[in-house]
Amino acid sequence: MRFFIATGLLVLTAASALAQVAPHALPPPPKNWVQPKTPWGDPDIQGTWTSDDCIGAPMNRPANFGDRGFYTEQELSDRMKRLEQQHEGDLKDTVDSSQRVGTGPPGNWGERARRPCKQTSLVVDPPNGRMPDLLPEAKARPIPEGAGNNNPKADSWEDFSWYIRCISRGVTGSILPVIYGNGQQIIQGPGYVTIMQEMVHEARVIPLNGRPHASSEIRTYMGDPRGHWEGNTLVVETTNFLAGRTGIGLNGGGTPTSEALKLTERYTRISPDEMKYEVTVDDPKTFTRPFKIAFPMTQEPGYQNFEYACHEGNYAMFDSLSGARAKEKAAAAKAAANK
Amino acid sequence: MKKALLTLGAAGLMLMAAVPARAHHAFAAEFDSDKPIKFKGTVTKMEWINPHAWIHIDVKADDGTVTNWMIEAAAPNSLLRRGWNKSSLPAGTEILVEGYQAKDGSNRANGSVITFADGKKLFVGNAAGDPGAAPGAPKQP
Repeated sequence: MRFFIATGLLVLTAASALAQVAPHALPPPPKNWVQPKTPWGDPDIQGTWTSDDCIGAPMNRPANFGDRGFYTEQELSDRMKRLEQQHEGDLKDTVDSSQRVGTGPPGNWGERARRPCKQTSLVVDPPNGRMPDLLPEAKARPIPEGAGNNNPKADSWEDFSWYIRCISRGVTGSILPVIYGNGQQIIQGPGYVTIMQEMVHEARVIPLNGRPHASSEIRTYMGDPRGHWEGNTLVVETTNFLAGRTGIGLNGGGTPTSEALKLTERYTRISPDEMKYEVTVDDPKTFTRPFKIAFPMTQEPGYQNFEYACHEGNYAMFDSLSGARAKEKAAAAKAAANK
Repeated sequence: MKKALLTLGAAGLMLMAAVPARAHHAFAAEFDSDKPIKFKGTVTKMEWINPHAWIHIDVKADDGTVTNWMIEAAAPNSLLRRGWNKSSLPAGTEILVEGYQAKDGSNRANGSVITFADGKKLFVGNAAGDPGAAPGAPKQP
């Protein structure tokens, strides 16, 4: 038995040392870099891009930063040091038996930024970096059950968010940086761009030929996208969303958006390994004004999207529903005993 | 089996992570913070499935009966990127598992920590990816 244990630890340690990359600056783009083109003449933005570097960046800017959208060089240097310390800690697969552990997310749950996010918030407009207020009708909209609710309603699987149900995180929820699975694989063909996310694994097929949007009667989880090029920037306008289930927060959380939602995304490759991403959220039935979210995405050596079959292994749904039934049964038994 | 279950002073041992994170699902929906578990078992297999990996272990009670438990771990893609592979927890490895049992009383638990025979602890993750979802933690806005 001891042999097996020792072997397991050795393998784990060796594998981790290989897999974990120390924080480092992006390589400088080659001088005179120009945006490459596809054989049919479109700007070539293909690759697997990740928003990992802004993992943990707040959506809304903390008030003490005011209108300051970026960290100072000193602040970035401090944040880089923290990433390096975090990396050193990550290299230790095990901890001493004296160390306390608990139910908070341990380090190996999440993936790591390779360099500090330069932004003080993901929302970049309005200037205070905060999402605009919700309209009264939006405040009244129920939010589906999901992660973060300590006492979820679980009468049915339908009470849960589409994310918890392995269905969809919506467009913004699929690209905003979260604790893991931030890969976006972009593949181009003549007249089309396809973007496939790792987590939940949806492929957005974006026509570029200028054809009109589908009828407003046709609505989908990820909406109906249309793309065009403005110089080297891919602009994607998406409408025809299903309403009331996904929000603009991480993983599609937060107040659900309405059927009036229109997203305008801009993908601009600014170097071989860096993409500038922006999305303007316009939902006149949810927010008091449109707002813009932006963050960089990068290509990293060896990074690829992995498989994400989710529904088959989603034991969490079974456990959540059976847990709620067990709770009801216990409450009924207690009530009967007190009669 | 009862003898194999040891109750921890759960609330006092919790260490909340400061990183705001959101995992696939809520701890409190699935697991019972009043049912902490701590027992030794032998790994029979690890399911590398999305959205979360599960470790299967055989737990031997004092009377010799063996019960299979499933211990929830982190997202497989994340474990893979962080250096785990199929050899990380080979079948036959003896481990001490700490976590919380499923609310419905079945032999499923989240995994907070695994301790190897030499006393080293291995974080395996748990269902409380969102600090707000962890028992006793303040609810996130």
